[in-house]
Amino acid sequence: MKKILMKGNEAVAEAAIQAGCKFYAGYPITPQNEIPEYMSAHMPEAGGTFIQAESEIAAINMVFGASACGARAMTSSSSPGISLKQEGISYLCGAELPAVIVNMQRGGPGLGNISGSQADYFQAVKGGGHGDYRMIVYAPYNLQELWDMTMLCFDKADEYRTPVMLLGDGVLAQMMEPIFQTPYKKPTLPEKNWALTGCKGRQPNVIKSLYMGDGELEQRNKILQAKYSKIKENEVRYTTVNIEDTELIVVAYGISARIAYAAIRRLRNEGKKVGLFRPQTLFPFPEKQLRNLSENKRFMTVELNAGQMVEDVRLAVNGRSEVLFYGRAGGAMITPEELYEKINAAL
Amino acid sequence: MATPLSLKELSKKEDRLTSGHRMCSGCGAPTVVKMVMLATDYPVIASNATGCLEVSTCIQQFTSWNIPWIHNAFENAAATLSGVETMYRSLKKQGKIDQEIKFIAFGGDGGTYDIGLQSLSGAMERGHDMIYVCYDNGAYMNTGIQRSSATPLGADTTTCPVGSANPGKVQERKDLTRIMAAHGIPYVAQASPSNWADLMKKVRKAHEIKGPKFLNIIAPCNRGWRSKTDDAITLSRIAVDTCYWPLFEIENGVTKITYKPKEKKPLVDFLKPQGRFKHLFAPENEWLLQKAQEVVDRNWDRLLREEEFTAPKSE
Repeated sequence: MKKILMKGNEAVAEAAIQAGCKFYAGYPITPQNEIPEYMSAHMPEAGGTFIQAESEIAAINMVFGASACGARAMTSSSSPGISLKQEGISYLCGAELPAVIVNMQRGGPGLGNISGSQADYFQAVKGGGHGDYRMIVYAPYNLQELWDMTMLCFDKADEYRTPVMLLGDGVLAQMMEPIFQTPYKKPTLPEKNWALTGCKGRQPNVIKSLYMGDGELEQRNKILQAKYSKIKENEVRYTTVNIEDTELIVVAYGISARIAYAAIRRLRNEGKKVGLFRPQTLFPFPEKQLRNLSENKRFMTVELNAGQMVEDVRLAVNGRSEVLFYGRAGGAMITPEELYEKINAAL
Repeated sequence: MATPLSLKELSKKEDRLTSGHRMCSGCGAPTVVKMVMLATDYPVIASNATGCLEVSTCIQQFTSWNIPWIHNAFENAAATLSGVETMYRSLKKQGKIDQEIKFIAFGGDGGTYDIGLQSLSGAMERGHDMIYVCYDNGAYMNTGIQRSSATPLGADTTTCPVGSANPGKVQERKDLTRIMAAHGIPYVAQASPSNWADLMKKVRKAHEIKGPKFLNIIAPCNRGWRSKTDDAITLSRIAVDTCYWPLFEIENGVTKITYKPKEKKPLVDFLKPQGRFKHLFAPENEWLLQKAQEVVDRNWDRLLREEEFTAPKSE
């Protein structure tokens, strides 16, 4: 297979089309504009539908509608736009509808700026909308993963009947690098017999998130929580680099893991015992795996924010060992040199 | 006494939007905003929706606005200003402020026709004493020329790209000026920077009317329209002369066309200098060109009849 040079946003859009996405609704916001632009040009060729909505709220609700009809549906945005989508995400979870939501994070809060950031970790993994819900959250760190995980998002959304978020950032969205356009292989997935496809010859299907009967909603929540437990059991993904003999493990995801990797490589060349733990899923979080590593090792969480995932690392480690943090907020970038100094000082 | 509407007198006034902002050279929007604010001698407080105008005039640590200015998010310039204007009225009532201050919300067509329509409609219905000014360049220029509901029929944008499946935008423009008129607010008008005196008169008139007012002003964007950088005023004039962008006002339900071109020019005069319509001149798109002309004719004809129909009955 030949490697093809692609831009992050375009890789996401093309991977989605190849994974059988048949419905995309979006709205302009930097730095994810190439996704709707690419979709507008290529969805018609793929027999799919592109709609530019009048707002992010409209886009997520269009996805709700298309998904209810059984289509593989997707929307994308960047941080302020994802804030506007929160109502729809809560409803998708409540109604158990699969959908793929891409967030190419930018600096916040408020209008913030348009550079890469990881400030939406809490929003993505703790539930930015109302109600007790969880979303599967994938955190790619290069364009190959952006491609592969986009495809995975659709499968997991269908498997669990739940919205799945691809949590990228402005750097991954805008950078170009060569990738293998791995062909999509559809796994065996449950049939969408819940979809609203016209009820001629069968009982009508009902898709809703309103449960007013006595105890009804509690029952619904139990079902949802059981699903989230199953996801926690089966869907954790992470990778590690040189963690066996280390004293200090850097925990980082997405673009900050990439920065960390460069710093760690340099330290390793100098004989320093440093390794990298990179969660690929942020929910479910690899908490057991981190806990098992916590014997005689210290951690340093590195994020492009003021410290969000570090809370989950501390929960996982639960006081067994020290968890340090280094991060920069507001769309500021950490350089490998800067991180090299920080890790070196902590050793 | 108010400054006379003469170029000589106006040129002596200080601009309320200063130079040094980062709008593209040849952009129509700052010209429009300057005219709107030059038109009045009252102190003005402005709100701004997210968009080119907002990001380019408040580059970190600096501002081009010589007046109090507030920006919130994309969809709520009208709602944000509703809050400010209500606070002003309250302070006035309490006797803590006695100055007469005017309120203007600025938004592009994305922030006004699309995502901001709800907050605009709410502000107009509640009756806040403000002018909402939409500078309409017909697409989301700030994020890279995506279609909006103000994008004209047939235009090429990055989210309705011209190709084998699509001859550009297949929908007509949303008639926002008329939607605002349907709110039954005291004053709605359409203006163009090419007809500066007409534009400024409308702003002046609006300021003297209590309650919500709406102005829709065409603002050419050479990046999105793919036109020459020195063509903004020329193109807005052609937009008026082809009746693509008629100049009119609706005051308390009475429609008045404020400028009738002596000779209505064909729409192609407006379309030809713009790269976004280039494909319309291919033989296979002739039908679309025709349809675009028909839409302009239909709207102009309706406006003429509306003027006649709403004219006050003579004694």
